[in-house]
Amino acid sequence: MASDERDKAAALRKAPDGIEGERVGAAPADGGAEGDSEVPSDAMGTARRLWESARGIRWRLVVSAIATVLYVAFSLAAPAYSAYVVDLVWRNVQESFAQGRDYVVTMENGGRQILTFFSLWTVSWAFYSVQSFVMSSFAERLNLRLRGLISAKLGRLPLSYYDRHQPGDTISRATNDLDKVSEVLQRGVMQLIISAVTLVGAVVMMARYSVVLTLVFCCFAAASALLTKVVAARTLSIASRRQEALGTLTGKVEEAYSGRAVIKAFGREGDSLDDIRACSEDLARTSAQADFVTNAISPAIRFLTRLCQVVVGLMAGSMLIAGRLSVGVFQAFFQYVTQATEPLTQLSLTVNMLQGALAAAERVFALLDEDEVEPDPAEPELPASPVRGRVAFEHVRFGYSPDRPLMRDVSFVAEPGQKVAIVGATGAGKTTLVNLLMRFYEVDGGRITIDGVDTRRMARSDLRAQFGMVLQDSWLFEGTIEQNIAYGRPGATHDEVVAAAKAAHVDFFVHTLPKGYQTMLSNEAEEISQGQRQLLTIARAMLVDPAILILDEATSSVDTRTEQAIVHAMETAMEGRTSFVIAHRLSTIVDADLILVMDHGTIVEQGSHAQLLAAGGAYAELYQSQFA
Amino acid sequence: MSAGERDVEAEVATASIGREGRRAALALFRELVAPYKWLVAGMVVTLLCDIVGMLYIPTELAALVNTAIAARDADALAGHGVSMLVAAVVGSGGCIASYYLASKFAANVGRDLRVRVYQKSLELAHSDFEQFGTGSMITRTLSDANVVQQMLLMGFIMMGPVPVTCVVAILLAFGVDPVMGRLLVAVTLVILVIFGLAVWRSAPIFVMLQSFIDRMNVRLREYITGVRVIRAFGRESRERERLDSTFESYADRAIRVNLVFSTCDCATFFLMNVVESTILWVGADRVGAHAMQIGSISALIEYAMLIMFFMMMAQFAILQMPRGLACLSRAAQVLSATPVILDPEVPAELPSGDDVPAEVARFDHVSFRFGDADEDTLHNLDFALRRGEVTAVIGNTGSGKSTIAKMLLRFHDATGGRLLFLGRDVRDVSQHELRDRISYVPQRAWLFSGTIAQNLRDGDTKATDERLWHALDVAQASFVHELPDGLDARVSQGGTNFSGGQRQRLAIARALVRKADLYVFDDSFSALDFKTDAALRHALSGELEGAATLLIAQRVSTIRGADQIVVLDEGRLAGVGKHDELVRTCPTYRAIVESQQMEGGEADGE
Repeated sequence: MASDERDKAAALRKAPDGIEGERVGAAPADGGAEGDSEVPSDAMGTARRLWESARGIRWRLVVSAIATVLYVAFSLAAPAYSAYVVDLVWRNVQESFAQGRDYVVTMENGGRQILTFFSLWTVSWAFYSVQSFVMSSFAERLNLRLRGLISAKLGRLPLSYYDRHQPGDTISRATNDLDKVSEVLQRGVMQLIISAVTLVGAVVMMARYSVVLTLVFCCFAAASALLTKVVAARTLSIASRRQEALGTLTGKVEEAYSGRAVIKAFGREGDSLDDIRACSEDLARTSAQADFVTNAISPAIRFLTRLCQVVVGLMAGSMLIAGRLSVGVFQAFFQYVTQATEPLTQLSLTVNMLQGALAAAERVFALLDEDEVEPDPAEPELPASPVRGRVAFEHVRFGYSPDRPLMRDVSFVAEPGQKVAIVGATGAGKTTLVNLLMRFYEVDGGRITIDGVDTRRMARSDLRAQFGMVLQDSWLFEGTIEQNIAYGRPGATHDEVVAAAKAAHVDFFVHTLPKGYQTMLSNEAEEISQGQRQLLTIARAMLVDPAILILDEATSSVDTRTEQAIVHAMETAMEGRTSFVIAHRLSTIVDADLILVMDHGTIVEQGSHAQLLAAGGAYAELYQSQFA
Repeated sequence: MSAGERDVEAEVATASIGREGRRAALALFRELVAPYKWLVAGMVVTLLCDIVGMLYIPTELAALVNTAIAARDADALAGHGVSMLVAAVVGSGGCIASYYLASKFAANVGRDLRVRVYQKSLELAHSDFEQFGTGSMITRTLSDANVVQQMLLMGFIMMGPVPVTCVVAILLAFGVDPVMGRLLVAVTLVILVIFGLAVWRSAPIFVMLQSFIDRMNVRLREYITGVRVIRAFGRESRERERLDSTFESYADRAIRVNLVFSTCDCATFFLMNVVESTILWVGADRVGAHAMQIGSISALIEYAMLIMFFMMMAQFAILQMPRGLACLSRAAQVLSATPVILDPEVPAELPSGDDVPAEVARFDHVSFRFGDADEDTLHNLDFALRRGEVTAVIGNTGSGKSTIAKMLLRFHDATGGRLLFLGRDVRDVSQHELRDRISYVPQRAWLFSGTIAQNLRDGDTKATDERLWHALDVAQASFVHELPDGLDARVSQGGTNFSGGQRQRLAIARALVRKADLYVFDDSFSALDFKTDAALRHALSGELEGAATLLIAQRVSTIRGADQIVVLDEGRLAGVGKHDELVRTCPTYRAIVESQQMEGGEADGE
């Protein structure tokens, strides 16, 4: 009976099933991976690749597999030996009783055998320990290696990957999926060996003692395997209903918190509370059901095992009376019954777990196999220093997908120090231009040059170092305001940071914060308005002081006067440097040297404000519609 | 240890909840459990059945062996068989019943916690809520409650059996033989000490491991959402290092946890061997001394193994407890927060009917400063909103325009001076009554999932369809006419299935459905094009004649016709008056006008 509990308890360590649920609530938007199919499409291939990835630490797996088999072998031998010990003791006891004296265990009459029994278990324990310690770092080392590959991969993935995939999808591959893999590698593989060997071994040992009793056991074993299957199917459907209820509640709460001001302003607190209460009630009901069914499997199986024990007990008892079975064998048989019951339920669970882990590993490998950006040229060129900032598009062709070309033949020149404005309706493809300039995307034909050098012949880092960029969604990272402003120039002094902040009109705001420039920000920082976030990113770009400046709708959340001031400050800072400005409001760009009018992803007009108005084309129309 | 790691260690240290937090968590726990006394009693009773049944089976099996070899009586065997059957039914039945009750109990507590946190969130003022942050509030309402729920369930299933098993098993052992009973007591105490040590050693690492998992998620999200910026500034290698160091610290901690677990596992395994062999040895002696029978040895071994098994489970469950407690204490923080804005004990009544004064609201030398900021956001504002008049507020981003609207709704309270509404200090009336008299269009138009009609009726639950259509027409939301389902058209969460401009007009319509003394438009026109803006203002002027209107705006064209324009400059009043007057006298206003004049000839009129 002993080794059964040993396994069970160890299994618990790694499978806190009930506690899994909370992940769901924490990241409702990232459902991606959870819903994926849990069956690997190429199990063998994935397993082989994992094996390949484990180069250098594979010996751990081999050693622990061997140790596991030996551990199981010894734990199977122990009950058989205990039968011998008990019978020996019982004989000695009966002999002593027959002679009318008490029996005392000494080395000579049973003690040595008890010690041998102990040694048998100790050897089994030693193999178990070897397995356990050798494996303790295997899975995490492998994971660390794969995570390292992922972090390197993230730097080589083209922007199109990021534009096509939800962040949560990628994150869950690097975290949840790999955790699943390590969990299974840590326990599952060994569990599979343990279960299979134990089941076969125990049944063989049982059959040695009594074929009839073994058959009785097999009947009950089949019944519990069946029960496990039935309940497992039911668990799945209830779990998905719980998931649904949780999803509904999550949606409601998110919505209510985002719309708090409206709820309060219109005095709708009561209705909203009723709503949340109803959803919570629903969740409580389904989750009570799901928790119950999930947890009730094991006592249900245990009930069958107990019935089996009663039947076997009665039959074995009468065999004991008839003298066809010894006391020791009777007890040993019961130990085998419990030893063999556990793997039955374990096996199907373990196989499911293995499948899930392989499917998870497959998703990780799929990420690692994504197409990468072309490597930088072996001998990158650089425009002569100092870079003047002459940017030219020459017959550029481009489309996000080959079957939908956007730019067919775009050419323009931005002379050093010029201000180039990009205008167009929402969705006209203004950011496409930025994507191409920064080589976030590669052109399909033609070329883009800086001071006459084809940007594709430059190293990306050299190219991007020429640009200062303020993007539509203002990204701040977890760190202080000062660190955020100094992002593009980590060595900047505090005074330089403050100067940039002042130039971006954000110094006043920073001072109203309790910790000023040392205020910690996170990317979801809520204490800072969108306008202020943009001002911070402008300060960041200004600190870099690059040859070319890109302002991608940087001013959309800032009112006109602030915008004017910033643009003014920018222009002073960018004296003699080229700048690209994408703006909502035409007021900020009427003085541009060159205006590019975009529509449907391509440039439809170019020229100065006066030229374009005179031309009476798309720009003139846009201008009239805004200011009519 | 890298700098990044040190950051995390520090964070973990501050994140651990401390004595105060633990006390709050436990107090909340008692409160949550209190309503379910009977359910808990039921759980205890069924658990008792479970354990007694479980332990009775090896006891009866031993008795069966003993009878078989001593009495050789087949009928007596059957008797033991029946007892075992009863024990199996009572035990498994009790176990299943206890799981049923426990699942229900945990789910109910989880529900209560969610509802309570949500209810509290409704009582909190703006600044209270922002202290927690929307993201954190969502976590506290949903996943924290989930963790607590699972902690209760797992705690019961995994820890509940320990004391019961120890007591019952020891009693049964004493029943077999007092010497064996004492042996079992000794074994139990030894295991208790060893497991106690193991938990004490591993709990802190385990808690830390959790925070490292969170850390990986945060870092990855940051990287992915910021990939353009990272590449633009050429910081790929630095970000990769940051990621790698996060991964490394996690792996490091995870391996340490695994090692602690392996040590524990192996120690337990070894302990089991020692215990089994000892019981065999001592048991054989006792059998030899006529103190007990041979069959009972295996029953005693089974008792010891069960005690050890349940303690091991409990050990695992205990490791999860700190997390559960942390979640509870976070929820407790919300529940114990005192809203900075409270209703007066005896609220004053707002005048109604003919008593209503012409001056709807007055800012009487009002200043406002955020919690721990060292400068006022609004400083010494002094102006009035009058019935039948449109008051406009214009100023820079961050000049405190929106704060004015929020103060009227009493989302914020003045930190200096006073704000009068219909002649009463807003702090003297109930928030509900105050807001009942105001209709508000927020800066960010937010709609709730449901139908258009449901959203509009948030303004006034009793409004007829005609009123809704009228409001829509005034708000220039005629596009609703063209929707196949009209008023019953679906609105998705936040209203994202409508464009920004449409959402804004629906929000305006919602405000118009309500009959109010004051209409507040917080920058509600900026998402509209100039033509719609103009048409809307025209339609509104007839609609809002009997009420005061506050118009917060960025475009001069939106507000130039206002009866009174309030110009804000970094939170101070730079000027109050009509457009023409301000253009002459107020430099700040003139600068704004000039900055916008370049936007074509709009200053020449619409």
